[in-house]
Amino acid sequence: MYDAISIEERNKPTVSLVNEGFFNDAESASRSQGMPALRYITTKVPCESSIIADIEAGVDEVIDKIITALTKPLTAEEKVPKPKETEKPQRIIFKGTLEEVNCFFYQRGWTDGLPIIPPTEEAVKEMMTGTDYPPDHLLGKLQSRNGKTTIEKIAINAVMAGCLPTYMPVLIAGTINLIESEPGFSGYTTFGFSTGSWAPFWSINGPIRNEINVNNSSGAFSPGNIANATIGRAIGLIVKNIGGVRKGIEDMGTMGDPMKYTCVISENEEASPWEPLHVELGYKKEDSTITLSFPNCYCQHIPYSADADGILRSIVDNMPRGMRYNIVITPTHAKNLFREGYDKAKVKKYIAEHKLVTTARMQAMLVTTARQTGKGSETEFVQLIEDPRFIRVIVGGGPGAFIAHLVGGGATPGKKEIQKIELPKNWAKLVAKYKNIVPNYAKY
Amino acid sequence: MYDAIYIEDKGKPTVTYIFEHFYNDSMSAASSKGMPVIRVVPEAIVSESTMREYIATEITTVFDDIISAVTRPLTAEEKSPQRHEPENPPRLVFKGNLAEVNQFFYRRGWTDGLPVIPPTEEAVAEILTGTDLPADHLVAKIEPRLGKATVETIAVNAVMAGCLPTYMPLLIAGVQAFAANPGPAMMAVSTGSWAPFWLVNGIVAADINLNCSYGAASPGDIANATIGRAMGLIIKNVCGIRKKIEDMGVYGNPGKYSFVAAENEANSPWEPLHVERGFSKDDSTITLTFPQSFQQMLPFSTDAKGILATVVGSIVPARFGLFTLVLTPNNAQSLANEGWSKQAVKEYIIKNTRVHEDYYRRLGLDAPQASEQNTFLAVSSGSEIFHPTKSGPDPVHIYVYGGFGSWMGFLQGGPSPITKKVDLPKNWVQLVKKFKNIVPNYVRY
Amino acid sequence: MEQQSTAYEVLSPWAKADPISLHGLAPRLNKVDGKTIGLLCNNKRAAPLILEITEKLLKERFPTASISRFKSQTFSVSALEKEREGEFNDWINEVDAVIAAVGD
Repeated sequence: MYDAISIEERNKPTVSLVNEGFFNDAESASRSQGMPALRYITTKVPCESSIIADIEAGVDEVIDKIITALTKPLTAEEKVPKPKETEKPQRIIFKGTLEEVNCFFYQRGWTDGLPIIPPTEEAVKEMMTGTDYPPDHLLGKLQSRNGKTTIEKIAINAVMAGCLPTYMPVLIAGTINLIESEPGFSGYTTFGFSTGSWAPFWSINGPIRNEINVNNSSGAFSPGNIANATIGRAIGLIVKNIGGVRKGIEDMGTMGDPMKYTCVISENEEASPWEPLHVELGYKKEDSTITLSFPNCYCQHIPYSADADGILRSIVDNMPRGMRYNIVITPTHAKNLFREGYDKAKVKKYIAEHKLVTTARMQAMLVTTARQTGKGSETEFVQLIEDPRFIRVIVGGGPGAFIAHLVGGGATPGKKEIQKIELPKNWAKLVAKYKNIVPNYAKY
Repeated sequence: MYDAIYIEDKGKPTVTYIFEHFYNDSMSAASSKGMPVIRVVPEAIVSESTMREYIATEITTVFDDIISAVTRPLTAEEKSPQRHEPENPPRLVFKGNLAEVNQFFYRRGWTDGLPVIPPTEEAVAEILTGTDLPADHLVAKIEPRLGKATVETIAVNAVMAGCLPTYMPLLIAGVQAFAANPGPAMMAVSTGSWAPFWLVNGIVAADINLNCSYGAASPGDIANATIGRAMGLIIKNVCGIRKKIEDMGVYGNPGKYSFVAAENEANSPWEPLHVERGFSKDDSTITLTFPQSFQQMLPFSTDAKGILATVVGSIVPARFGLFTLVLTPNNAQSLANEGWSKQAVKEYIIKNTRVHEDYYRRLGLDAPQASEQNTFLAVSSGSEIFHPTKSGPDPVHIYVYGGFGSWMGFLQGGPSPITKKVDLPKNWVQLVKKFKNIVPNYVRY
Repeated sequence: MEQQSTAYEVLSPWAKADPISLHGLAPRLNKVDGKTIGLLCNNKRAAPLILEITEKLLKERFPTASISRFKSQTFSVSALEKEREGEFNDWINEVDAVIAAVGD
């Protein structure tokens, strides 16, 4: 809707055709950009359809409405829309038992469906001990709602998610990644909302990993570790409640993606023979950082053999197609590759050079390249991955032979995707306070 | 470890080479089978390693330990091992405020790291209104711990997860599905990090507002979120499957938080999954599969030709086991409009997906042996990816869910689906009415 | 809002399990010379290699011992290959001790 709005602002009338399922989304988008009266017509043409007959039928049905939208004179309301009621909610919005709070928040569409910790003044105050920023410090505005991202709002969502106060610096840095994300196709405003069900995937580097117990070993992506579980969850709630991105309205993910519950890992820097991700991206080893991408595929496979050839060829053969690639390799495989002279750059170069697709397939896929024109051939091969910087290699995982891929969307290389984590002055004391909150499993 | 235990029980001494990082896992497995004292020799050979010299060095290093393990006389404990766990823990296990309960449970390794609702007698009693079965009714004993999934234990984990009482019938059926054969437990502990995926069919889905449409597998719907979560907590606390001890998943799998959808039956041109699998349309069912991987992609074009070509062209070869194609209602309709039935689509996929000739040999899999016996790998011979076997006669399945859009999904890996009927309590209609309006209402801005 | 200090008395999610009878180990060999050592291989890739090297070392150190191999086609004969139970039992009867490799 944003293009239509800028055209209207240049004094030319528009009408937009929108798939009927996206009616809410379109309204929401135009209202949030200040043009609630924008004229649009819903059609029955399915999204991303390429069936000519369907498209013709859908447009035929509404052609009269299109003409009317462009010619019928404006109403008074359309000329001068009434201003949005300024939001002035009370500070304490509800009082009730644990079950009542959960029900109230869920029915307001403020949760992910799982239980939340009620964000009382007391709980939020404790959460804020994790940062030196004052509660009303404004980080910026988060799309799609231009929601005012204050430290306190972050803390409220963090309490709901079940975070410890020591996660606040991580949440603040992660949210900055979203706020400062590049505009346009490769940023948060696409991947946060699109039909592709892309999920934010957070990789954490630096000393903070061990200080707050972010799992990078067995089962890092599985439930069971409070840091991995609640950090991703909290940012998901931030996207929903500060950004205003809700399923079926702004978040148009068709099938959904369980990675949206939470997808957080740290790199096993100690056991890796290579430089960690944040150093690759220009930070110092002793900095702590959080890096963002948006996968909608999670795939695993074993290598053909444990040597470099077996590892790399299996990666090339089993990579699902997408735009940005994260490959998680165990320390053992990384060491095997290192022994045979591979560093991360060489690994990426190998993969980019060997992952070939036919030009016919390239043409049909969701890629933004000049090669998209023309029909393409089934016998001419090109590199699927044009730029090795589209690939990230992260060392992690527990004992075992698998390799994992998280593939989907992500930033244009060089654009915003990583943020340094700033720590409060009393960090050491805070860490000590929460360090031993770890699971101890009874043997049976 | 099971074979070693079996052999010891038959009176022959054994010793097993164990990758050192799997020590806890092996001892847990052995313990759960009644032989906590089994002799193992830890070695540093990495899983699936193929590096001969390295293996030779390592084996030579530990060889003396191997010989010692089969010759050194048994200790008193090894002849007659003692028990670890107290047999009768107290009923009320803790008292504290919300934060304290959460921390206590987390530290005992009983949660997934997210907040839990404290399972008080009151909360458990309320959730038990969702079933007619008595609290002490035993639904199943589940490997590896042979933990007793009584209706009450299911209820406790359901309360923790945040479930509504109306989800109890699904959870009970879910437990029956998980316990139906040893497959699920093996998937839940494997290094391959297989995540349970639950597909629900029948009227129960709409009754409990289980999402079958836009963002079905994403967070935001209490039914989808808490049903999967509760099953995950049951797998942890009933089966005794914990990360890095029993669950040796190398990376883990985000699907293990919760991976639940209802089939979009109203908008599917085909018969729903449960009818395909022999149930009556009026039944409600839950179907369990264990994908290791999941992918989404846009079809090359949204007509039948494009959709099918996309499937054939996008399957990655390493998807041990079952393959489930997820179609949105309109993609399913496109296929149906051009005369494709589910069966025809499956046959097309089986016939046309191929890997290069030596793919399985390079993985070290003896294809002819593997293809008949091996239910989990469902490995084929030659270059076919899919090969029906005795225990896996249907290597390809089709689910229809999602909103009206063109994305296609794959759920890859694991054994054949297990479907169980959902039994509803007598007062189902009243129960449904009581909770029906617990839905999100999004404020417009 | 109820006080943060509201006390919840809670039940345990940890299922009960019947105590299983614990078994002791089988008596050990007094020597390896002259015995039949069974080598049990599961289906994981490193296992055959491990046992190959083990066999070599056994033959070097105990020339009078004999070796007998058995290979699982899945990950566990006793759990997953019921149809081979007779064959497996016969093999166990023949050997005096078993070295198993899991390769995982």
